[in-house]
Amino acid sequence: MQFKDQLDFIKQHMKRNKLRVATTILAAMMGCAFLIILASVGFGMQQTVTDQVLDNQIVTEIEVAGREDGDSITDQEVEAMHQIAHVKAVTDRTSPNADAVAKIGDRSGFVAAATVDMEQEQKAGLKLSEGKMPSSANEVIIGYHFAQNLLTEEERKKVDDGEEVSGGFAGSLIGQTFQLELTPYEGETEAGVWEFTVAGIKEEPGKDWISDNTLLIDDSWAPVFQEELALEESGRQVLVYADDLQNVADITQTLKDKGYYVYSVTEELGSMNMFFTALKAGLIVVGTVAVLIASIGIFNTMTMAVTERTREIGVMKAIGAKPKLIQKLFLMESAAIGIIGTVLAVLVSYGVSILANWLVPKIIMSSLGEDGEGMGDVSILISVIPWQLVVISAIISIGVAMISGWRPARKATQIDVIQALRQEL
Amino acid sequence: MIEIQNLRHTFAIGKKEHERKVPVLKGVTLDVQKGEIVAILGKSGSGKSTLLHILAGFMTPESGSVLVNTKETAKMKEEEKADFRLANFGFIFQNFQLMPGLTAFENVELPLKIKGETVKKRQAKVRALLEKVGLQDVADHYPNELSGGQQQRVSIARALVTDPPILLADEPTGSLDSETEQDILMLIQSLNQSLGLTFVIITHDDEVANVAHRQYRLHDGELVKGEKRHAI
Ligand SMILES: Nc1ncnc2c1ncn2[C@@H]1O[C@H](COP(=O)(O)OP(=O)(O)OP(=O)(O)O)[C@@H](O)[C@H]1O
Ligand SMILES: [Mg+2]
Repeated sequence: MQFKDQLDFIKQHMKRNKLRVATTILAAMMGCAFLIILASVGFGMQQTVTDQVLDNQIVTEIEVAGREDGDSITDQEVEAMHQIAHVKAVTDRTSPNADAVAKIGDRSGFVAAATVDMEQEQKAGLKLSEGKMPSSANEVIIGYHFAQNLLTEEERKKVDDGEEVSGGFAGSLIGQTFQLELTPYEGETEAGVWEFTVAGIKEEPGKDWISDNTLLIDDSWAPVFQEELALEESGRQVLVYADDLQNVADITQTLKDKGYYVYSVTEELGSMNMFFTALKAGLIVVGTVAVLIASIGIFNTMTMAVTERTREIGVMKAIGAKPKLIQKLFLMESAAIGIIGTVLAVLVSYGVSILANWLVPKIIMSSLGEDGEGMGDVSILISVIPWQLVVISAIISIGVAMISGWRPARKATQIDVIQALRQEL
Repeated sequence: MIEIQNLRHTFAIGKKEHERKVPVLKGVTLDVQKGEIVAILGKSGSGKSTLLHILAGFMTPESGSVLVNTKETAKMKEEEKADFRLANFGFIFQNFQLMPGLTAFENVELPLKIKGETVKKRQAKVRALLEKVGLQDVADHYPNELSGGQQQRVSIARALVTDPPILLADEPTGSLDSETEQDILMLIQSLNQSLGLTFVIITHDDEVANVAHRQYRLHDGELVKGEKRHAI
């Protein structure tokens, strides 16, 4: 029998029992839609959390937090990190163990001072909103909010009293010279004062809650501070930058093998992905129960179809239809119920998903009232249906439909021709 | 064409514990030549249908052999039997056994569909056959819109559509009035003469038996040659 004729055959059969077939398809659709929508919540949660993680950090950044043996990272070791394949840059920031205050005229403010390798910072993607990279050791880069934090005594009092002050240093700091006073946290040493000129200002941080008052000084100053202030060993922050996100995992592994504590986006996403994979698998299993319930309907419908058509099946066999063909026709019919149900379920699920993503955040926001405003830039996805979920659900529902059609189809092949032909019309 | 040798069959009736053996065929031997019409008569319950069912491969006999075109049907697997039936037999049943959901045309077309013929070949063949049995005007009718005689013509057209050499008929006129019966018998005769088709017809009706070249009577599980009343 040609495939087209087989399709015509089952189409004709399904038409003859429109209502029964339609309700069975409806049940199959509901089961499959339930599965997709339930699992889509897992995918949505993962998407939301992943977006948050990726949004809050530079994805190619790998933080080397220290050595597993407790030793501090040496300059030679930092040098070796440059040699790892696909490493674009290694920034090495050392913060002096001292309070750092910048002073210009009658204004002053605490800054987060660090000595850095300017060349590596630039390679790592340091962006300026104004000015240029330093060309001499006396030139520095300042954070975007550096100027804003330079306050007069009067203003500082107001701030302490909880009042708003606007401005800080007015005008551009580019080319301005200021004093940096470093007071060691510990020890008896007097504070030291140095003068620096502002060469460039970093770009505005991506998040409006970050206040950037860093001060990046050329690392030729590190030994100077160290010696003159007799500082304890300083805190070192080493960040390795991969040339591409796909190499982050490899570099992370290499660094781990070398005995460093490493922290990168792949690490974080890795453990997160494990959790979400388990969650999604769990939701799919629960959703499959709905599909299984719907399959009872398919089993019933097909069993009735076989019983009703016993005589016709007998005639088919008598005039030369092979048992295999009979089985195939019935399996195709239950598969058709599964396929139509799945297609409808996918459409319905996308509809429900879009509706949920639009409606639920609105409800959350309004129930949070004004507190919800802070959530403004957090985008919540209630439900995400990736094509993989559609494929998995389709395989499950169509597979289950065919399995439930299996017994009735077998039964059809075993119909005894003589008995069937004896049936009354 | 057909060689039946020493065919035996016994039915077991009743529950396992007190089952009763009913021997229905006790060594039946029959030869049917190509182009012959053979009629098998017998009382109700004498085993005529059983003989035909074994011949058609619908059931397996207890012992004995059935050769159709020198092929032993009893030893075939189900799938082979189906192919063999499609190629060698056409069936005409007492109650026509048409598909209620298909039109006359589609009913005749069905064996060709099962065979996997193309639409083009099917259309031509079915149209020609419907004309031959005189049903070209009711091709679009469903079985419940046809008279008994018309339905039996559809069933004959369906039996002929795959060009089988042998036609097996179990009481082909059993559900028809005598006038319609004559029409069908004439059709069978003309098909036999024009196409050289072989017929094995089961009947308890002497009118039907009279179109046969040879008649047999199934009695007490054995086949005895019957005397012919009229020459054809
Ligand atoms: N499946 C079966 N199980 C048990 N006994 C059966 C079975 N089929 C037929 N028989 C018995 O075999 C005998 C012959 O039946 P069969 O149908 O061949 O008779 P028949 O000659 O065709 O009769 P009729 O002219 O009424 O159609 C009957 O006694 C019947 O009871
Ligand atoms: Mg009978």
